[in-house]
Order: sequence, then structure tokens, then C-alpha cells
Amino acid sequence: MRNFWKLFKRNRSAVAGLVILLFIIVMAATAHLFFPEDPFRLVGRSMSAPGTNGFLLGSDSLGRDVASGIAHGAKTSLLIGLLATIVAVGFGTIMGGLAGYYGGIIDDLLMRITEMFQTIPSFVFAILLVAIMKPSIESIVIAIAVVSWPAVARLVRGEFLSLKNREFVQACHTLGMSDIRIMLGEILPNCLSPIIVIGSLMVATAILIESGLAFLGLGDPNIMSWGFQVGAGRTLLRSAWWIVTFPGLAILITVLAINLVGEGLNDALNPRLRERQ
Amino acid sequence: MIKKWISSAVVAATSILGTTFAQAEKEGGTLVMIVQPEPPSLASFVSTSGPIGLMAPKIYEGLLDYDKDLKAVPALAKSWDVSEDGKTVTFNLNKGVKWHDGEPFTSADVQFSIMNVLSKVHPRGPNSFKEVTSIDTPDDHTAVFNLANPAPYMMRALSAYESPMVPKHLLEGQDIKSSDIANKPVGTGPFKFVEWKKGQYIRLDKNEDYWKEGLPYLDRIVGRFIPDASTRTAAMENGEVHYGAYGAIPNVDVVRLRELDSIGVTTDGYAMINPVSLIEFNTTVEPFNNPAIRKAISLTLDRQFLIDNIWFGYGKPATSALSSSYSATGLYAEGMPNYPGRPNVEAANKLLDEAGFKPDADGVRAKATLDLIPYGEDWRRTGEYMKQALGDVGIELDLRYEDVPSWLKRVYADYDFGMNVNYFYQLPDPVLGVHRHYSSDQIRQGTHFVNSSRYKNPKLDGLMADASKEPDAKKRSAAYKEIQEILADDMPVVNLHEMKFLTVFNSKLKGHELSGLGAYGSFERTWFDE
Repeated sequence: MRNFWKLFKRNRSAVAGLVILLFIIVMAATAHLFFPEDPFRLVGRSMSAPGTNGFLLGSDSLGRDVASGIAHGAKTSLLIGLLATIVAVGFGTIMGGLAGYYGGIIDDLLMRITEMFQTIPSFVFAILLVAIMKPSIESIVIAIAVVSWPAVARLVRGEFLSLKNREFVQACHTLGMSDIRIMLGEILPNCLSPIIVIGSLMVATAILIESGLAFLGLGDPNIMSWGFQVGAGRTLLRSAWWIVTFPGLAILITVLAINLVGEGLNDALNPRLRERQ
Repeated sequence: MIKKWISSAVVAATSILGTTFAQAEKEGGTLVMIVQPEPPSLASFVSTSGPIGLMAPKIYEGLLDYDKDLKAVPALAKSWDVSEDGKTVTFNLNKGVKWHDGEPFTSADVQFSIMNVLSKVHPRGPNSFKEVTSIDTPDDHTAVFNLANPAPYMMRALSAYESPMVPKHLLEGQDIKSSDIANKPVGTGPFKFVEWKKGQYIRLDKNEDYWKEGLPYLDRIVGRFIPDASTRTAAMENGEVHYGAYGAIPNVDVVRLRELDSIGVTTDGYAMINPVSLIEFNTTVEPFNNPAIRKAISLTLDRQFLIDNIWFGYGKPATSALSSSYSATGLYAEGMPNYPGRPNVEAANKLLDEAGFKPDADGVRAKATLDLIPYGEDWRRTGEYMKQALGDVGIELDLRYEDVPSWLKRVYADYDFGMNVNYFYQLPDPVLGVHRHYSSDQIRQGTHFVNSSRYKNPKLDGLMADASKEPDAKKRSAAYKEIQEILADDMPVVNLHEMKFLTVFNSKLKGHELSGLGAYGSFERTWFDE
């Protein structure tokens, strides 16, 4: 662990990304302390500029606090990003692992299914899924997971393919270990690093997809999110710039921070890059 | 003969021109107007869809037209006469009127249009002409409507938009709903259909043989389809299009555009349509089967807040089941209860307490899902406001925003809803636009925009049936006062605000506002001052 941290902190920008990300996590966790009111609450004069009428970052067309929306929206964005990633990584790992380990007809079958999903443009597919299921947190998480898992499956399959013929795996076979035990206990831990890296980058993509959906009006109408704030304020860009600008910056900074951390993880976990300066 | 025709046409034309003939109209020019979205067809005799209404009344004509005060003025009928008992209406038709293909227009076309087309396949026609038993055609230029009962509202439903006259010789014996002229209309109007480029525009050219001498002024009308709202605004701003109605330019942009000298904005031209935003309640399910909660909701909502913050000041708080624009015909009643000028949360809480909606530990009295009409962001904002405002009196709402077909099915076919935000056209007479909301025979599963509340009140049914046949204006307004009192007390539907649609136009464009139908008018007297 100490070794990992040493490798990780060599990448300065990754550390900066981590600091920003921690700050955003703290902001999400403490949103209800600083902004105890529902972020949808109409708390003051509509379209107040930042710094006026007691609004730090201004208010939107109905008089909702933009700052409160950003704080509470952080929770939604991180939650959806994490949940969708866990579902996608979990499912992708199972599919890729089975395909890579067993090969043959199972591999063919699973990979053709994966390719079928990969041929559909992911954002358009996500829009379609959410529109069919009606917008809610669950449907958004499912939609993002459905469009994200194929990449994980391809990656895990490749790792399994290369690891399954290695000596330590063959030794396990001769010892008479079950397939499940070999897959979970021996091969999976050895390909965890690339999974963690792709997973961390996927959180950023998931946040972007969620924002995109909310921007198009396909977010959960009962939950505050950054994409919703941008979508609701975009028609007012010329008269009240702050409604879209601050949530937009929040999305930018978060996605950037997660990408930096992901890059740092890649540097630290990838043995081939360990010597990279 | 020809001389006589010219003189009658001149008389007709000048009588319509009325006050505006002092201006020096100029001929020529191409008007580009926004048509949004692209219409499914141009069959205004089958569908009342908005974009059809923008183009078709330039091609087809009605028996009558309506001026800015909604007074009937001559169109295809140069004069008309309603018998003493209100059961016979005689129309004298203009002579020398020709269809765009050269055939003469006669009383047989009127008979065919009303009896075989509008009363059969038009969405509102069966209601408008329900009392018409037959139409006699003693000669080519006289049409006599025989009615079972007096139908004063029918005289308000004879415009080119509402009841277009269609050519018998092209439609007879055909399946009306799938005939060729749905996409290649042949009318008698000031403009002829020329071309429809799918996805781009519809082009209409001046009818050189138009029966009103010297009209129309414009050479051409092009209806352009521009799906993106900000592109429409930009096209209006740089003069690429000259006219956009029915919210084609979003209110937020209008606030900016109206400061420009080159752009004009008006809320005129929607009196015939009379749109009102509202909440429909499913009166058969908990908790909305209790009128107290419906009344409490009406008492809680700040209608002026909605108008100021969502519609940028364009609109008027609703004060009754009928729009205040019915005050012109004496049908609107003032001072209805449960329509407060300012929200009255105290009264709402009291009402809910008395009705047994006790708050639980979290202060929640009732939970419900609010469906929102999926016609854009403004309605979402409305829902977000309502969720907050009603949360204050302990009514906890979940918002649901679906695609148009799912929403229509949910509300009007499956009745799978609790409360639904929507808007209705009240039209120029309550019989045409309002009865469909409350009358128990308008509980028509699967038909859109009728009584989805499934509200049944035999007393109200009786009052409405009598009011629709009542020829005496005084008695009619008394009947509607009683109707409005019942509805304000029972509230199967809570009206929110009288909507003001905006028409944005290039200031060089003149004479587009002369008809009471606004954008759904014929534009025969529209011209460019340049």
C-alpha cells in the first residue's frame, strides 16, 4: 500500500485530482448541513445575480439557489456515477471472464452479444432506454450500465485469455481446483489493476452521460442534478449566465479530477509504466 | 352578370376592410412564416392540429370570418339570416367563387362539407353541427340549415380554420380521411397550394382569380419548418422569417427581441382559441375523489408567480371555469370562490384539516404523482413550482414527465393518473371548448382532451344541455353563472392561467392581425411596407 502511494504521488496532477475529488465528496456529504433546505425550494427572488439577495452563486428562473443545487447535485452525480460503474464493471467482468476463460463457443456467443451492444452509439442508446423506462434514478443507472459494460467485458476477456495459459493457472488445474475458484481466486486478482483503472474512468463518463440525459430533459424530475440545472437554465443563457455556468463548471471540474485520478491509478498500477517519470 | 359579381365582391371586400382602408397597402412580396412542427397533412377538415391551422386557412375558406371582436363578418356567405325560433339558418353565398381548379363553388359544396365531411370526420365538427338535421339547397347560391334545436354556438364555428368548405367534386365517393387533397389542397381561398418540400417548407402562391377583387396583396407565402427554438429566434432576428405565432419564438427570447425596432410582438389573434392552463384530477381515485383537496390545491397555488416566472409576464390568473375572455359574450361570471387573487395557505390548511387529511409526523397529508404535459420546459418548471407550493400544505408530489404518446395514453385511455397539468382551448363558445371537460357524455375512453376526470354531475349535465340550446343571451349567461358556481365548488378541474400566446413579426409586415383568428386567418390583406 505504501508502495502504491509512493508510485501514485509521483504523478502530481493525479494528486491534485484526488484533492479536488475529495473536496467534491465532502461537499456532497455535507450538502444537507450547509443547505438544509430542499434544493428545489423557491427561496428568494428569481434570477438574482451571484452575490445579490443572499445568493452566493445566484438564483434560477424560479428563485432556487444555484449553490444549493450544486451541492446537492454533487450527491446525485457521484451516486449515479458510482452505481452505474459498479453495475457495468460487475456485469462486464462476468461476461468477459467467462468468455476469456472458457473460450470456444461460449466466447463466440458472449463476444457477439458484446459486439452487438458496441455497434449502437452509446449516448443515443442511453436516451432510448431512459425514454422507454421513464426517467428515474434506477432507469438512468441501468441505461448507463447497459451502454458501458461492453468495454469492460472486452478488457477482462483479453486479460483472462492471456492469464489462463500461464503456469500458475495450469498448476491450479493440476491441483484439481474448481473453475470458479481459479477464476475468482487466481486470475481475477491478477487483472484487477486494469479493471480499477477502466472503472475509475468510467465514473467520469457516467457522470457526463447522466448530465447529458438530464440536460435533454431525461433526468429524474424529482432529483436535483447538475445536468438538470444546465438544461433548465440553458434558454436563459443570454439573460442569466450564472444558472448554467456554475453547474457546468462543476461537471467539468469533477470529470477532470476523476480522469486525473484514473490516470494516476494507471501509472501506479500498471507494471509496465512503473518506471515512467 | 360579371358586373354584378364585381360590385358584390367590392362591397364584400370594402365591408371587411373596414377601418384599415386608410392605409396604403402595397402589393407583392413573399411572406416567410414559421410553421412548427411540420404538419402531418393539410387536411384541416380532418384534423385541428396547430400547424395545419397555420397553412390551411390561406387555401380554404369558411362560410364566415370573424373580426377582432369575434363578430361574424361575411366570407363565402355574403349574408345570413337566423329564423325567429333559431331553427333555420339561411346563408346567401357569394357568386362567381371558383375552386382553384376552375370549378364553380356552389351550395352543394356547402351541403357536402357540413353533412358528409365536417359532421363525420372532424374532431369538433360532430359537436358543432350536432343539431343540423339537413341542409337544403334551393339554388346554387343559397344554403338553408335545418336545426333540431337552436344552436347559437354554431355561428361561431364557421371560420376557415374551424369549418373549411371543401370541394364536393374532388371528395365525393372517396375515403375522406385518405383522399389526395389532404396533401394537395384545392380550396377557394386567396392562396393556392404549390409545393410541399418535406422537412423544409410549404409554398403557397397568390390566387390570381380570387373572387375578392384586388386581393390578396402578397405574391407568395412560404411556411418554413425550423425544429430548433434558438434557430427560429435567430431567423426572426436577422429577417429570414417574418412571422412566428403560437410560441414559435420562446417567451424568454421575446423579452429580448421586443426591444428591437425591426420586431413587433402581439398577444392579439388568440381570442378564438382561448387557451387556459389547468390541472385535471382523477376524481375516481384517492385522494382526489374528495373535492376538499382539489379546492385546497386551487387555494394554495400562486398563479401570478407562474405567470411572472415561467411565462415572463404573459398571461392572466384564472378566476373561474370559464376564461374571462367570455365576458365579451356575457358568459363569464366574476367572483367565483376557491379562485383566490393571492394564495391562501391558511384556508387550504383549514379545508384539509376539516376533510380529515391529517398531517403525519413529517407533515405529509397526502401523496400523489403529478403528470406534466410533455410540451417543453415551461411545463416542467410549472410542475417543479407546484411540488414546492403544495409541499407547504402537506401534499407531497412526485413528478412524472413522459413522451407524448405515453402521456396521452395514460391520461385519456388508461386513466392511470392522479393529477395532470395540461392546457385546453376553450374556443369562442363554451359549448365547443368547455363542455367536453365536464359533461358526463364526454367521458370517452381513448379520445384525447375530453372529460378525463370522469366527473359526473347530472345537475350540471342538465344545465349545460339547456345552456347550449338557449337562444336568449340573458338566460344563457344566467345558466352559465350557475354552471361556474357548481364547478368552482366541486373543482374537478382547477384552472391555472389564461395563456397568452405570442405572435412575433417583422415590423414591415402589416395587416396580419385583422382577423379574430390571428395566425389561423387567411392573410388576404397582409402586406409588406417597404
